[in-house]
Amino acid sequence: MKTITVTVNGAVYEETVSERMLLVDFLREQLALTGTHVGCTYEGVCGACTICLDGEAVKSCLMLAVQADGHSITTVEGLAGDKLTPLQQAFIENHGLQCGFCTSGILMNMSEFLEKNPNPSDDDIRHGLIGNLCRCTGYVHIVKAVRAAAAVGR
Amino acid sequence: MFPAPIREYHRPSSIAEALSVIAREDVGEAIFLAGGQSAMQAIKSRMLQPDCIIDLQAVDAIRGIRQADGALEIGAMTRYVDIAENVALDGPFAALRDAASHIGDRQVRNRGTIGGSLCWNYVAACMPTVVLGLGGVCHLVSLKGERSVPADDFFLGPLTTAREDGELLSAIRFAVPVKRSGSAYRKWGLVTDALPVVGVCVNVSLSGDGRCTAARVSLTGLPDGAQRSTSAEDALLNSDCAPEVLRSAMNAAADSVDAQSDGSASADYRRQLIRTLGAEVAQLAVDRAKR
Repeated sequence: MKTITVTVNGAVYEETVSERMLLVDFLREQLALTGTHVGCTYEGVCGACTICLDGEAVKSCLMLAVQADGHSITTVEGLAGDKLTPLQQAFIENHGLQCGFCTSGILMNMSEFLEKNPNPSDDDIRHGLIGNLCRCTGYVHIVKAVRAAAAVGR
Repeated sequence: MFPAPIREYHRPSSIAEALSVIAREDVGEAIFLAGGQSAMQAIKSRMLQPDCIIDLQAVDAIRGIRQADGALEIGAMTRYVDIAENVALDGPFAALRDAASHIGDRQVRNRGTIGGSLCWNYVAACMPTVVLGLGGVCHLVSLKGERSVPADDFFLGPLTTAREDGELLSAIRFAVPVKRSGSAYRKWGLVTDALPVVGVCVNVSLSGDGRCTAARVSLTGLPDGAQRSTSAEDALLNSDCAPEVLRSAMNAAADSVDAQSDGSASADYRRQLIRTLGAEVAQLAVDRAKR
């Protein structure tokens, strides 16, 4: 067991974890932040567990919790302040989600993507979404939502 | 899929500290962990069951891209995203960006490293192929000292490299080639940007009158993993690199390789990919060399 200090959505947590605990399980089971999802069987292929680690989108099932010691994490719970972010709002307005299971991972990936690419083409958006599987939408409305959020940001 | 119990986790901040942990007699099965984008999958499937993980994330000395002493040096912990976004890596080094910008997805590129990929040396992987095609030299350090291993001697087959127990890959060095050099890499896979069914890297240098003075061609997706095609290189060398020469060079590559049939593609299809994808890659490398 190891004691780690992690900042999650601005709050500092000091927690004792087993060395083999995955970061996604730490977030979901130890911190009860269940907005981060597990969509595949932890092979790192679905992207539903995407979080921002020090501001960069990574898959939290491909990391151990102990590796996050000393780092700052944002999960989907930490995106909205008093109101939803333009990206979240755009997902609602453009039907960017159906069942919603993949949505938290897509929001975390695309929020960082838009910071780096404030004026993306549809191809840029689609290339950015490769690591996130959605089984409902066929991606058309997701791309539309990201495009709309980029327009709001400009 | 969950990791088997792990006894110890270390996060050294220097090479010396990392080496001293892995050299400990009571350390058991110990591994260096780079970006973990392949290793964590292997740990979760229990193909790897380390007692001790030595996480290299804080060893700053082995991260970053530098030009020094007529060589380009890329630290082993340099991430794909940092290579993909480094616009100085053009012309002779453009294949590095071709590969790095299409590995996995952006989440993987935010964490995966060149050194991790080289040491893992998966049977169908982009980075070993490109480093082989560019003639990189792998710099290894251990408590016994340092040594440099050319890529030709580093990749020994799928999941096998010349790196010995207790050795750490610190950097990869590339001699900065003469002017009029260009490289390119492309892959084809069943899923966009996923592991390649076939990948081709071509690296050429041209003389002032357009003759090919040096050529390296490397392939991946074949049973032996990343490998050079000397038949393609021989066909390019001293040629004028006209489109029909490039096509016949890659035809020679396709005809001379040991290709396999599996669930992803038949052997014939792999050869066809080497021909068509290879000719495109070779043309791109030549175009970049002429720029």
